[in-house]
Amino acid sequence: MLCSLSLFAQESDWGGVKGTVVNRAGRAPIAEAALTLSQNGETVATATSDAEGKFLIEGLPNGIYDMTIKAAGFLDATVNVTVEGYVKDLIFVGMVVEQVIADVDDSNFAEFDMDDSGFEDAPSILFDSNDPFTNIASFGFSNIRFKNRGYTNESQDVYLSGVRMNDAITGYSPYSLWSGLNEAMRSKETTIGNEVSDYGYGGYNGVTNIHAMPSSVRTGWRFSALTNSALYRLRLMATYASGELDNGWSYAFNVSARVGGNDWVKGVYYRNFAYYAGVEKKFGDTHRLSLVTFAAPGQRGAQNASTQEVYDLTGDNMYNSNWGYQNGKVRNARVRKTFEPVTILKYTATPSDNLEASATVLWRTGKNGYTAMDWYDAADPRPDYYRNLPSYYWMDNKDYGRLNFEKAAWAKDAWINDIPEYTHLNWDRLYNVNWNNYDADGLRRSKYAVEERRVDQNDINLNASIKWMASKAFTLTGGINYKWNRTEYYKKMDDLLGGDYYLNIDQFAERDFASSPTMVQNDLDYFLEFGEAKSLKEGDKYGYDYYAHVRNANLWANGALDLGGFKANLALEAGYAKFWREGLVRKGLFAGLDENGNEMMYEGKVLTTYDAKTGKAITSKGNSEIADFLTYSAKLGLQYHFEGGHRIYANAGYFNDAPTFAQSFISPRTRNSMVPNLTTVKTASADINYQYSNNGYNFRITGFWTNIADQTDMMSFYDDSQNSFVNFAMNGIDQRHIGLEMGFKIPLPVQGLSLAGALSWGEYIYTSVPRMTMTVDNSAELIYDNQPVPYWASSPVYRKTVMDGETVYETDLDGEPVVERFQKHYVPSTPQLAVDLGLNYRTNSYWFFELHAQYFAKSYLDMNPLYRTDWIVAGPDWNITPTEIEDLTSQECFAPAFLLNASIGKSWYIDRKYNFGFSLNLQNITNNRNVRTGGYEGTRLADSETMERYYKFDSKYFYMQGFNYMLNLYFRF
Amino acid sequence: MKRVYTLIIAAAALFAGCEEFQPVFTGKYPDPQEQYIYTDADFGKFTSIADVKAMYAQNGNKPYVVEKNCVIKGQVTTSDQVGNLYKSLYIQDETAGIEIKIGKNGLYNEYKLGQWLYIDCSGLTVGDYNGMINIGYEDPTGEYETGYLEHAYIIDQHVFKGKYDDPVQPVVVKEADLHKDVNLGRLVTIEDLKYDDHIFILAYVDPNGNRKDYTNNGIFIDEEGPDNYGVTTWACSEAKWKEYLNAGNFDSVEAAGSTVGALRKSTGIGSMAYSVSQYFKMGKTDVQVRSSGYARFADTEIPQEVLDGKATVSFTGILTEYKGAAQFTLIDLSGVRKADGTPWYE
Repeated sequence: MLCSLSLFAQESDWGGVKGTVVNRAGRAPIAEAALTLSQNGETVATATSDAEGKFLIEGLPNGIYDMTIKAAGFLDATVNVTVEGYVKDLIFVGMVVEQVIADVDDSNFAEFDMDDSGFEDAPSILFDSNDPFTNIASFGFSNIRFKNRGYTNESQDVYLSGVRMNDAITGYSPYSLWSGLNEAMRSKETTIGNEVSDYGYGGYNGVTNIHAMPSSVRTGWRFSALTNSALYRLRLMATYASGELDNGWSYAFNVSARVGGNDWVKGVYYRNFAYYAGVEKKFGDTHRLSLVTFAAPGQRGAQNASTQEVYDLTGDNMYNSNWGYQNGKVRNARVRKTFEPVTILKYTATPSDNLEASATVLWRTGKNGYTAMDWYDAADPRPDYYRNLPSYYWMDNKDYGRLNFEKAAWAKDAWINDIPEYTHLNWDRLYNVNWNNYDADGLRRSKYAVEERRVDQNDINLNASIKWMASKAFTLTGGINYKWNRTEYYKKMDDLLGGDYYLNIDQFAERDFASSPTMVQNDLDYFLEFGEAKSLKEGDKYGYDYYAHVRNANLWANGALDLGGFKANLALEAGYAKFWREGLVRKGLFAGLDENGNEMMYEGKVLTTYDAKTGKAITSKGNSEIADFLTYSAKLGLQYHFEGGHRIYANAGYFNDAPTFAQSFISPRTRNSMVPNLTTVKTASADINYQYSNNGYNFRITGFWTNIADQTDMMSFYDDSQNSFVNFAMNGIDQRHIGLEMGFKIPLPVQGLSLAGALSWGEYIYTSVPRMTMTVDNSAELIYDNQPVPYWASSPVYRKTVMDGETVYETDLDGEPVVERFQKHYVPSTPQLAVDLGLNYRTNSYWFFELHAQYFAKSYLDMNPLYRTDWIVAGPDWNITPTEIEDLTSQECFAPAFLLNASIGKSWYIDRKYNFGFSLNLQNITNNRNVRTGGYEGTRLADSETMERYYKFDSKYFYMQGFNYMLNLYFRF
Repeated sequence: MKRVYTLIIAAAALFAGCEEFQPVFTGKYPDPQEQYIYTDADFGKFTSIADVKAMYAQNGNKPYVVEKNCVIKGQVTTSDQVGNLYKSLYIQDETAGIEIKIGKNGLYNEYKLGQWLYIDCSGLTVGDYNGMINIGYEDPTGEYETGYLEHAYIIDQHVFKGKYDDPVQPVVVKEADLHKDVNLGRLVTIEDLKYDDHIFILAYVDPNGNRKDYTNNGIFIDEEGPDNYGVTTWACSEAKWKEYLNAGNFDSVEAAGSTVGALRKSTGIGSMAYSVSQYFKMGKTDVQVRSSGYARFADTEIPQEVLDGKATVSFTGILTEYKGAAQFTLIDLSGVRKADGTPWYE
């Protein structure tokens, strides 16, 4: 038989393929499935299955083909077909019912206070349904705020229609720009790690390109209603896409509204809307022009972190200090208000089958505001201010000198009985203070107000890219990008809370320089012109006002070699980045020079101050020096496909990246001074991977190594002991990430049932002794001048015994304490071990069930560099002891967490035309409310009675929400 | 299609039936209620401030925790706006004035000059600070006889705001009456004082070090040196302190077994804002005008004619006592006037 077949094959160079498209579960035939046969990326033939699912393609030259099958309601499938001189009967081509994925909302992540924590409202990694690891991790790990391979959000490149969208100032991936537009933005492709994408060069943490073009939105109408307990009550969404019409036009729109509060955090709410509209026209076979605009305007209330003491007193790890009652209604002081429309004009040309080129202009503009309390020479209104807590009055450790048990009892009483005047913002009191604060003119000067911190971007991107398939074996892709960004940072008076005006003076400077009428001025030029500070009304700009200017240009190319089983690629990139600050107001403290370069004077006194090191005037108005960097990077990828779905591949890259604007100024609100030793960030990264994908099995394992050197970081926070904003500018931060990543999906003997899992194990550590410069907004003084932070990367653990509650440190012959080991310090706020194991079950009647168990461990607290300096460890007595070192410099590790999640869903097809479905997602079913996801250390120091040491202030934490549900209903036709 | 409708209806019912669905208020917030103004009717019987002050002596000159029902009523006479008073205010009735150690910043925002306050003293402590009786909270550290009320919940149990009224007019106190109980803690005017060319500052070698260790860390700048050491301001801010120090003004002062001059050049001397007592003579009696280094007028120069002894000055503020000596606390510089009653400062 075998012999006769091969004989027959030798007789003909032509053949074909036939078969029946069926549902893999149940073997029910699938009609109208679209089949495409291709070879080396070129379409050779197409066909459609008939009512019985049957298809036939004939007249094919002998060879190996890829056959892609698409059908409504099923996942796309690809099979290898070998034509060898006859019409091969594949018998059944099985398709898997499209997973009704729980509708992942990019904004489905708790809203945190960015100023306090640095958290972003972004998913940890993006959705990629083809990869067994990211398939689970992208949504399943987002609750724990998992960071892929421990990398920061900035390292993740997000492209929109080929344009890199990472924020020009901070580097963050700005998902919030299109949150709520899930349907329009659904079509995307993702690379992992060092891989290069067709759309852009990327870094070491993958590239995601969201197509965002009307032709890529799923054709037809779709309506959905979603309710969830985690973020907002209700989301309504409507989408329509025309698909490509016969006349070459296609258009699409997507609108949504997200409104309401949630079950867990009071004061957090949404009132967000979103729209997307796009139109696209194809001219002949060669040209295509698209115009798209979208935005997600709205506002939402933010959450804040508190200390464990507060959480314990309120009995609620979700306590939020940002809100209070105003006349009986919950009002949040921290509200993010945004309206940032994005417009894209894209031209694509395919002059020949092997050449594709595109040019894109993308413009982002609008406003982004964030409200916060502001107060002038009045008691701190924050309810969880440390002096409102029992621990301020009583501590068991007598060395704190907090001995008033009775006062502590009163404070505790207020908290445990949840008396809202003390446990939340007391808006009623703030209004009354303002109402009764008459000045000499009979006007009421507000002592408390709500400010809006604005970050208004104007961002223009020009981008061109090309893809040239020079031969079957070689493809060249490349592009050129230019970004022009001007972002204005300023404060706006949002609400005077019942008063008539607020004064534009720096109350922080006023404490130290009260006798100087000029130094307290936020706007010295106004003062010099009018003789007084500006009296502010609602809507007025005040405080600070400056532009961040950023210009980036880069050029990249990727050559890819494809020799069948073996593939290789080499990519190179070079660029130029520059940025500077342009102050729009002259701050009294840093008057600088006037327009003619002369010193500023007032009443015969020189106001200009000079930098002690450089001797140059410290300026607040006008342009800073320009920081510019040449950047370059290279990437190499190799892979080999084995027979039977095995693939081994490896990537390596070296990156020389510019620091961001946000990391580069020591006190951007007040002056033009830059962080010392500003330099590029050097990253070397490599990974090796093995993947197996066949017969429903899908497995990937990756080992990775990344070394990041010379990072800078800027931390800024309000310190009431300095009565000002304090800035820590760090440089020379190095870190190393090594780890393993694994994902799998295994079909089980029961039809439709599979086992899926993911594992991420890593060691993400700090490896250098960085340096820190500490400044205060209201002073030119360098409080800590580029000094080392010796306990940043590790801290010693001493050999000790505990006897009768007393710790005794073992000493060596010289009387020095014996170091047992050095404890490494870890990159914080992500579990360094994450495990997921679950069962997925799909029936042939379009039901699906998923049950996953998860375990997360080795997540660490963000460190305050101040506690890791000899200066602070030594304490007031300048004597460093093992106790001080261990108490102050060690890093907190969070307790491991176990979680259980489930999903259930079904979809119905009616008359082949209507599709109705639901999905219900249940998270944290065991209602575990003690899972810390992040936080940060205190920023202050507490004195000891003995004056021998300092104590840390309590750390603040973010917790994961307990049990949550999300129910999504949709209707499509 | 029927099935579709059934499903839509079921879904709608599910959404509508969510019990937790509470709309979040996102509109324009209504103004809060105006604060309640307490009146005599809310309390009934009052104890005079003099009687409360007397409780200290009746308790054998020891801190006395008021147990019985005891409410005092008085008008606010001080403001912490310029920072010469800190976390405290004084009230007075016709019998006396007394300091209430409330313990919050920016008290002037809540308690206005002339405003009536009702203090429910039960549970509070009447204590002494170097001759001045005050009301505060029990201080178990023993460092002071009273501590601050400090926590808003405690304050709200004891301090009740009454109606706003005109600021209290100071009484003029003669030299002979400087130490009379009725005048202590009261808003007074004292007249015809002459600058005495004499100061007192307690400073520290290391302000971050142990401030109780006077022997090794204290710097007593007082009458043993030359006149006023060139300290011509009401007090000194940290910057002013550095200026005086670096100019050598205090070089002769003994400190830590050495002198300020020697230490300044060897180990160094730290800086902070310091209170200054500037001595004046009222007739034959010394009056120390003590001002805080954190007061906004700390670095303001005393008028040259006053320093030169060519002009006398009158003060309006709170009359106090420190270990038997007359002390004076300015509320702000409008309380410094010339002999003809016009202010020295604008």
